[in-house]
Amino acid sequence: MKELFSPNAQPRRTTFLLMAAGQGALLLLLWLFYPLRMFPSLGEVLRSLQDMITTQGLIQELWASMTTALQALTVATILALLISYLTALPFFRPLAYAASKMRYLTLTGLTFFMALMVNSGHEVKLSVLIFATTVYLVTGMTSVILTTTQQEMDHARTLGLGEWRSFLEVVVLGKLDDMLEVVRQNFAIIWTMITLVETLYQSEGGIGLLLYKQNRYLHLDGVVAIQLVILAAGAAQDYLFTLLRRVFFPYSALTTAR
Amino acid sequence: MTPYFYKAPVLTLDNVSMEYAGETVLRDISAQVLDVCRPGMNQGQVVGFYGRSGLGKSVLCRIMAGLLAPTRGTVHVGTEQVPVTPGAVGFVQQQYPLFNHRTLQDNLTVAAGRKFEPEEARRQVDAYLERFQLAPHRKKYPAHLSGGQRQRAAIAQQLLCSDHLILLDEPFSGLDIAMIDEVKKIILEVTTMDELNTVVIVSHDIQTTTALADRLWLLGYERDAEGKLLPGATISPQHQYNLAEMGLAWHENVEAEPEFNRFVEHLKDEIRST
Repeated sequence: MKELFSPNAQPRRTTFLLMAAGQGALLLLLWLFYPLRMFPSLGEVLRSLQDMITTQGLIQELWASMTTALQALTVATILALLISYLTALPFFRPLAYAASKMRYLTLTGLTFFMALMVNSGHEVKLSVLIFATTVYLVTGMTSVILTTTQQEMDHARTLGLGEWRSFLEVVVLGKLDDMLEVVRQNFAIIWTMITLVETLYQSEGGIGLLLYKQNRYLHLDGVVAIQLVILAAGAAQDYLFTLLRRVFFPYSALTTAR
Repeated sequence: MTPYFYKAPVLTLDNVSMEYAGETVLRDISAQVLDVCRPGMNQGQVVGFYGRSGLGKSVLCRIMAGLLAPTRGTVHVGTEQVPVTPGAVGFVQQQYPLFNHRTLQDNLTVAAGRKFEPEEARRQVDAYLERFQLAPHRKKYPAHLSGGQRQRAAIAQQLLCSDHLILLDEPFSGLDIAMIDEVKKIILEVTTMDELNTVVIVSHDIQTTTALADRLWLLGYERDAEGKLLPGATISPQHQYNLAEMGLAWHENVEAEPEFNRFVEHLKDEIRST
């Protein structure tokens, strides 16, 4: 028990799991018995969740949002990797710098320009998501590239690998696991944006639109239910990314402090 | 005294100077490593550059490895004496870097791929893994290797792709006595692998470096006629030692010899005076 409050302690796995379960249970009890009714009750949320699944196609809407998010993430990752790796050439460094700074742009103004450039609502939605995700990914990915040390590059050069091969070995292959981590961390941004984008282009539905409607008609139980669904989907995604990292980059965890 | 003679130069530093933002770090360094030959012996050689901490030894290493162009002067390597380029000299850095995303075997294969066709590269890697007692660890990632294994792996990797000249930056730094003995063994092992192999040690460990080397250069500061310190570390003519000539090279347990210890004391006095 004492070790749970000791700095940098490593409690046993069972102790840690029991502690986490206890914290979860406490939260649940608070929700159930807290006298001030700030949130809808658990029963109301569950009923609303059931209702949305059966009558409003929550699962289908979640799937629609999920596929859009994955599409955007795939394209954004490819674009961001390309922009980040191109920083090896001084000519392209201003591009990466500008891309990184564009994360300060607001989506509302951006959608207008996107609507002028592409044809369908789906394309607008996708291009806005791709743009916004790319600029965040570029920021994270260039930071990863900047962690490359002189020693790492010197090591590759002393093996006679040449500049491009040294870059491939040290920066591209050597930091691929960190790039995956950047993608994992920034995937959450898509979920925060997708709700906004789906309300702007409502023809394709999506969980964001469902959330917007629940919010609009003050169905707080529905809002909490959808938020919980998004939270669960995000947690599952996080777990999947961690699993991918463990499978494809087994060396990655070896140097991490526990 | 062991008979020996010198052949062609394998490393030549000619008036090498290095400046950073107007500050002289190294000044007019000249030294030549000649290929030493001992009749009846099939062994390469070890030479040493000694310098106190913060004197610019690592900068000198990077210049000798072709990773950094000197502000003035030239570095030539090999029996052909061509200007040094990255990859021409094997360079084992202080932290023994390896590719952390590759297994030990893959690390060596990448290096071997530079000189050999894939089939031959595999054979060479197997031979080096055996020779450096790393075969049982071939599937491990660098993070799983001990300090000694990592050091052996880094040296093997450089040997697989370099042409007989290998540079070790502070190979004894932060090691205990047992580990220093281990590194000494590895260095001697490298010299016995090929008669042309030359190990250049750049270190601040005067005792161990002197015990292993047959040539020694002392890096330090000079003073002008008025006794003022001149900027930039250099090698004075009186700080170039031929230990083979002095009868202090190639002895099995030279560190136990009184003559060796007297010489080390002399070196220490020289270092203190600079």
